[in-house]
Amino acid sequence: MSNEANLHSHDSHDTNHEHHHETFITKYVFSQDHKMIAKQFLITGMVWAVLGGLMSVLFRLQLGYPDSHFSWLEDILGKWWVKDGQITPEAYYALVTTHGTVLVFFVLTAGLSGTFANFLIPLQVGARDMASPFMNMLSYWFFFAASCIMLSSMFVETGPFSGGWTAYPPLSALGSASPGSKTGMDLWIIAMALFVVSSLLGGLNYIVTILNMRTKGMSMTRLPLTIWALFFTAVLGVLSFPVLLSGFILLIFDRNFGTSFYLSDIFVNGVGALPNEGGSAILFQHLFWFLGHPEVYIILLPAMGMVSEILSVNSRKPIFGYMAMIGSLFSIAILAFLVWAHHMFVTGLNPFLGSIFVLLTLLIAVPSAIKVFNWLTTLWRGNIRFTPGMMFAIGFVSLFISGGLTGIWLGNSALDIHLHDTYFVIAHFHIVMGVASMFGMFAGIYHWYPKMYGKHLNNTLGYIHFWITIAGAYLIFWPMHYEGLAGMPRRYYDYSNWESFKQFADLNRFISTVAMIVFATQLLFLFNFFYSIFKGRKVTSLNPWQSNTLEWTTPLRPGHGNWPGEIPEVYRWPYDYGKDGQDFIPQTTPVGEEESHH
Amino acid sequence: MSTTTTAVPEKLWSGGKSPFKVEYGKLMMWYFLMSDAFTFGAFLIAYGTTRFATNGWPNPNEVFKSYPFASENANAPLVFVSIMTFILIISSVTMVLAVQAGQQMKKNAVVINLILTIIGGAAFLSCQAWEWNHLFHEGAWWGRNPFLNADGTASTTNFTNFFFTITGFHGFHVFSGVIINIIMLIMTLTDTFEKRGHYLMIEKAGLYWHFVDLVWVFVFTCFYLI
Amino acid sequence: MEHTAVAEHHEGGKKEVIRVTIILTVLTIIELALGFAMMGMENQRLRLAIKGAIVILMLSKAFYIVGYFMHLKHEVKNLIMTIVVPLFIFFWFIFSFLYDGNSFKNLKNTYDPYKKELSTTKAEKKEEAKEIKTDEKKKAVD
Repeated sequence: MSNEANLHSHDSHDTNHEHHHETFITKYVFSQDHKMIAKQFLITGMVWAVLGGLMSVLFRLQLGYPDSHFSWLEDILGKWWVKDGQITPEAYYALVTTHGTVLVFFVLTAGLSGTFANFLIPLQVGARDMASPFMNMLSYWFFFAASCIMLSSMFVETGPFSGGWTAYPPLSALGSASPGSKTGMDLWIIAMALFVVSSLLGGLNYIVTILNMRTKGMSMTRLPLTIWALFFTAVLGVLSFPVLLSGFILLIFDRNFGTSFYLSDIFVNGVGALPNEGGSAILFQHLFWFLGHPEVYIILLPAMGMVSEILSVNSRKPIFGYMAMIGSLFSIAILAFLVWAHHMFVTGLNPFLGSIFVLLTLLIAVPSAIKVFNWLTTLWRGNIRFTPGMMFAIGFVSLFISGGLTGIWLGNSALDIHLHDTYFVIAHFHIVMGVASMFGMFAGIYHWYPKMYGKHLNNTLGYIHFWITIAGAYLIFWPMHYEGLAGMPRRYYDYSNWESFKQFADLNRFISTVAMIVFATQLLFLFNFFYSIFKGRKVTSLNPWQSNTLEWTTPLRPGHGNWPGEIPEVYRWPYDYGKDGQDFIPQTTPVGEEESHH
Repeated sequence: MSTTTTAVPEKLWSGGKSPFKVEYGKLMMWYFLMSDAFTFGAFLIAYGTTRFATNGWPNPNEVFKSYPFASENANAPLVFVSIMTFILIISSVTMVLAVQAGQQMKKNAVVINLILTIIGGAAFLSCQAWEWNHLFHEGAWWGRNPFLNADGTASTTNFTNFFFTITGFHGFHVFSGVIINIIMLIMTLTDTFEKRGHYLMIEKAGLYWHFVDLVWVFVFTCFYLI
Repeated sequence: MEHTAVAEHHEGGKKEVIRVTIILTVLTIIELALGFAMMGMENQRLRLAIKGAIVILMLSKAFYIVGYFMHLKHEVKNLIMTIVVPLFIFFWFIFSFLYDGNSFKNLKNTYDPYKKELSTTKAEKKEEAKEIKTDEKKKAVD
């Protein structure tokens, strides 16, 4: 038997999928259908987003109202978290740490690229399912296990890990360093190790599916930009998460087996001098940020890809500079690996090395600017439809610009020495990475919800959600720039003891209040989401957005296998909007004889 | 844009088939190995960084100088580890032969070569177990370093810390490789691949096994030679 | 059609395997010879040069294993590119980590004289400690 023939029989686990009998367990729980796995990722991610958001509300409560007592909180959360109606310092640090970990990894990595890579890749490249549906299922269940363990760490006696989401030693390496460094840290690190496995299983699948499983005619330059972005996201994850895993393994040895990879001679209050010697905590920072910086783009790139697609569809214009978009995604992906030490300018990093890192960091501005200009020119003179998804996509561009500009400040090592670890940094990365990616995620949900559930989300609630969220995002994070410039450090429990920060007491209260309003608005979105699954307006058109891409050629509620018959063939790129007087030409339409070239 | 592309003669990238002419499992194995290369790379680079950040380091020739059944004062640096290296290279060769036999659908040759590979892997693991045991009895372990720096000054525990962690992680890979090969052997013996009509699984197991050999090339150089 | 070509290729494959095995063996022997030559060598520059040579030999061994045993050399060119190109990240990865490690050592030696002293003079004490340790072990064995 020839190898070539094998390849085909192997690659096309095809049509007979649909005839499998599906029980409740195989359909909704241990599902191998990429669409169901996407929904599982999405809903788990949403649960985490609510928890993570709630945590931020709680610690903003402390920052905004340091002198007030909320005795009712004590009844809800218990003595460890709240004492005399005030969040305890231990609880405050635990909240900040868990908020960071959960939002960065569980919501914006698993919840964002887990959801949309799973949902969109097979649908948009024209495949029946992922290359390996089984590994795809495992990917979700590893994530689920990680979630359970992370959640359980909230309930241990000494509290969850509280040394910041970056888990720097010695707080993470020495059990005696703080209450959270005990069982809480053990659970944290196990959860994160499982999470790394999950994202590797997922990432390998995404890459191979995009490369190997494209339908006929779907060459790489006919892929929607979503797929390109998800492709680079997966590459970043596959190459950088292993480094974090190595760093964590060394950390586990430091915690449990008496090594001193990350520990120099150290004296712990109440314990005395520890016999560690020769290690360096900076090594951990290097290993962590070797993942940590690509991680920022793992979070951001899927949002960029989806925004590109949504902007083009809803301005009824081809995306401007398709190849430039791919090129800038590619250069961002490369640069992501070369700039990690810009998080470490104040560690005593060698200045010569630091200057190279500054140069490489500032280079990122070039592809980012290319993307921004291309988005703006795509919008320029477009026939724009302001759907909620489109609003969020435009909001993403706005946030990406205003957050990205402060990145240029922080990338300079000279400025960073002043701004490092202040609220300026908080403002920068929350706008450019946190809220912006959230906007990308919302845009994706509003845009592809009809495909996911066969229903529309309520538009009015969508607009309310959008306007309050974008106004709130700017109201929360814009003032933080000024606090940071004034030198207000991050991760402090209480600022009221410092004369110089007293001026910000009112501002902090304002920020906290807005944060609570914005959080409440997200609950509105949740209501919209779950209500619409059951009671939403039914989708009547196969292609509600008049879009070119392949997912809209499937039935309203595609079964496992996506297309009932043959997978359609592709003849053109996905951005033929407003061409030759036609509003849109789907990818499956053959190129006509007299058709113009673009 | 779309009209100007795919001018390549074979149109490998135009969709509907693998642009690399490989099935997805093999491609996935390749990319998994690449990510695993970053795991090992990070370990070895962390080791290098710590070594660069430390004054003085033990001389490996004074540490790894014994071999099984040797007398107390044996001084034979590099001998035992070179035997280990050759065991792994030879087991890699038998694995290649197993893969080639699989491509030609020769079941018996596959079986013989897989058994040889498994024996090679087991032999390597036993050698490593002996060496760990020997070092342990010399007082070396995680967090304990009885050896002095090459210049006679005191040495940090990071020498043994990294040695045990990295060779241990590599040994874990060898161990899982042996397990995978045993599974492949059982599947071959029960004619699973014959029924399937191809031995592609063995190719993937082979890739993993060669990767283990590849990592040893680096570990061997970094710990014993340099 | 494709099949016969593949089969022929693999008939020649056995020869290739033997050739590569011999090359790997020879490279390893050279490495070992260099390792032996380095023992007791005082000239630090020459040591460094030999270490460099060993690294080059290591990389060429890696090339032969990946290229021939793992069959990468016979894959489609683009597949080779997707494997090889990301590995270039290692250049910067290795360079900056080691450079910063070295810089960290210099900083410690400059600004922490106690550390510096500790790492240059404490040898004999440790020797004693070691002897005590071995004594203890002997006692334990007895």
